[in-house]
Amino acid sequence: MLPDLAVRERAIEREQAALRRLACWAGGFTSEVCCLPPSMLLLEVAASLRLFGGAANLCAGVVAGCTAQGHLPRAALAPTPLAAQWLAIGDGDQCCRTLDELPHRLGSLPLSVLALAAADEARLASFGARSLADLLRWPRAGLARRLGPGLVADLARALGELPDPRQRFIFPELFADRLELPMRVEHAPALGWAARRLIDALCGWLAARGGGISECVFEFGHESGARRPPPTVLVLGLAGATRDPERISRVLGERLQRLQLPAAVEGIGLRAEAPTALVGHSRSLFAERGEGAGGESMAGLLERLQARLGDDGVHALSAVAEHRPENAWRRVAAASLTGGRSPSSLLLAAALRHSAAGPRPLCLLAQPQALREQAGRPQCGGPLRLLAGPERIESGWWDAAEPDALGDVCRDYFVAISRCDEWLWIFRCRSGWFLHGVFA
Amino acid sequence: MSSSTTLAQILERPDVWRGDALARAALPGVPTGFTDLDRELPGGGWPRGGLTELLPRHRGVGELSLLLPALARLSRDELAWLVCIAPPYLLYAPALQAGGVDLSRLLVASAPGRDAAWACERSLAADGVGAIVVWLPEVQAAALRRLQLAAEVSQSLLFVFRPATCASQPSPAPLRLALEGEGEHLIVHLLKRRGSAQPLPLPIAVQRPLRLRHALARPASALPAARSLPRTAIA
Repeated sequence: MLPDLAVRERAIEREQAALRRLACWAGGFTSEVCCLPPSMLLLEVAASLRLFGGAANLCAGVVAGCTAQGHLPRAALAPTPLAAQWLAIGDGDQCCRTLDELPHRLGSLPLSVLALAAADEARLASFGARSLADLLRWPRAGLARRLGPGLVADLARALGELPDPRQRFIFPELFADRLELPMRVEHAPALGWAARRLIDALCGWLAARGGGISECVFEFGHESGARRPPPTVLVLGLAGATRDPERISRVLGERLQRLQLPAAVEGIGLRAEAPTALVGHSRSLFAERGEGAGGESMAGLLERLQARLGDDGVHALSAVAEHRPENAWRRVAAASLTGGRSPSSLLLAAALRHSAAGPRPLCLLAQPQALREQAGRPQCGGPLRLLAGPERIESGWWDAAEPDALGDVCRDYFVAISRCDEWLWIFRCRSGWFLHGVFA
Repeated sequence: MSSSTTLAQILERPDVWRGDALARAALPGVPTGFTDLDRELPGGGWPRGGLTELLPRHRGVGELSLLLPALARLSRDELAWLVCIAPPYLLYAPALQAGGVDLSRLLVASAPGRDAAWACERSLAADGVGAIVVWLPEVQAAALRRLQLAAEVSQSLLFVFRPATCASQPSPAPLRLALEGEGEHLIVHLLKRRGSAQPLPLPIAVQRPLRLRHALARPASALPAARSLPRTAIA
């Protein structure tokens, strides 16, 4: 009848793994999650309503997130877990906020939501019960005598008359998950979309644990074949601890742009081993400049630049109290800036202010460039005119023995101007004249 | 509605201006620190949300010193970030600090080739970036156009350094300055701005290393005294 129908065996383990991933993801909404195999998740959201902007917004967020994870959710909200379960099985998309409303809402459900044994269901039908409303109307004592105490207790739990404790989902200590791709992927940038599901689950897990990560490991498993290459491992470093899925996926996207895959990818694994505690932050009263004002934050920018230009490609500068010009500055890891001012750089800056020195150029040559000398005057596209100086900079014997250090120097620095009005910083030492900086 | 009110309304718009006056900027500019220059720029300073093209005829004429007061102001007073992309030389931290730039607000990215324009576009999209200084010696007109569009939606200053030979080529930048040194002054030619043309070059007194102490007291052409340096080595 359907020649192109592909029959697949049901993989219970993978279903359960998917449910666990979804439970981790749900940690983004609440830390009270309950897993009901085979296919149900209960979230206790009473404490989260305000944060997410009301029940309707929260429900919409949960449904949209589930859909983005590749599931087709049927969601319902009710004051008791059992009622929510029944409503979700019955109609889905129901939102009931108060206990008073509950008998009316439950009443319209068919008896099939109770998942009773066939004999009991036939018995109820012989009593003339068609919907849950009939069951709720009848006296409980008679029902208990005829169908056992279980059903009556369930009804009482659903209406909130009896407590209904549930077993919490335990969020694992370490996050490690794997996603099988529905089809082979040959191009690395296309993996970002599939990896987003794992990242969302990771961020839910981090939210439930109140932590953030600054490093996670992606593992791209390749298809099995005669010579199966080992999985490609991608270690993703972030500028600071975060649990923002957008930020992580952006950095991953930049890395994937440049990743060369040895073979097609079949599955993606994600491990996060060292979650660190993330300090909570207050939302600003006015949407001003800063994190969350619409654009990308500085830390996010830094990560993207580093992902593309390499860790050495982006740096910050710091002044050092030292008389030799090459040593009077230092590259600083840019991540230390976005995290806040380090006290050591403050101290250095304060120390520097006291040491008044001669003029310093805005641009320094990486290596002093030798200048010719003609008729006793240094040449750089014509003779140079010396305007200020000399400023003697010498000594430095203390690091002369170190491999890459500057060592002892003896230089006379001058400010010079060239024929085409370039302002230069030159020096003379034993081996002649050198150009060292440009007053840009 | 009469046609005169419509014309008046049109002239209210920041992207429409009379040919004999300076355009009004949508956002007030960042003061350059030089009154003569502020007076000639639409918005009274470096324009926010627009590309400023700087074409120095030679290195070392004072091209960065021209930006330094504005950069110092942004980093220190507005606590905004400064991003320098693909500088041709090392930016020398002590001099920047002496110029008033808060070094803890400065990022330097060494981006080769096309990455420089990319890094520039990303920085424009980020929050809290006050100014971006980028050296793009070989940028294509299309890339420059993209940068101008990206700059328009941000509030950052964007300074692009290009060689002076580009002055004759058309450019999407709303503000183009050619820079030239002349003695102690930096001569600014306003090649293009929103508003009336300014044919006269502006002499700007940027910070020169002369004003500090250590100036030579005697005629500069004389050979400096090489105190302990042996004369034979420099023969």
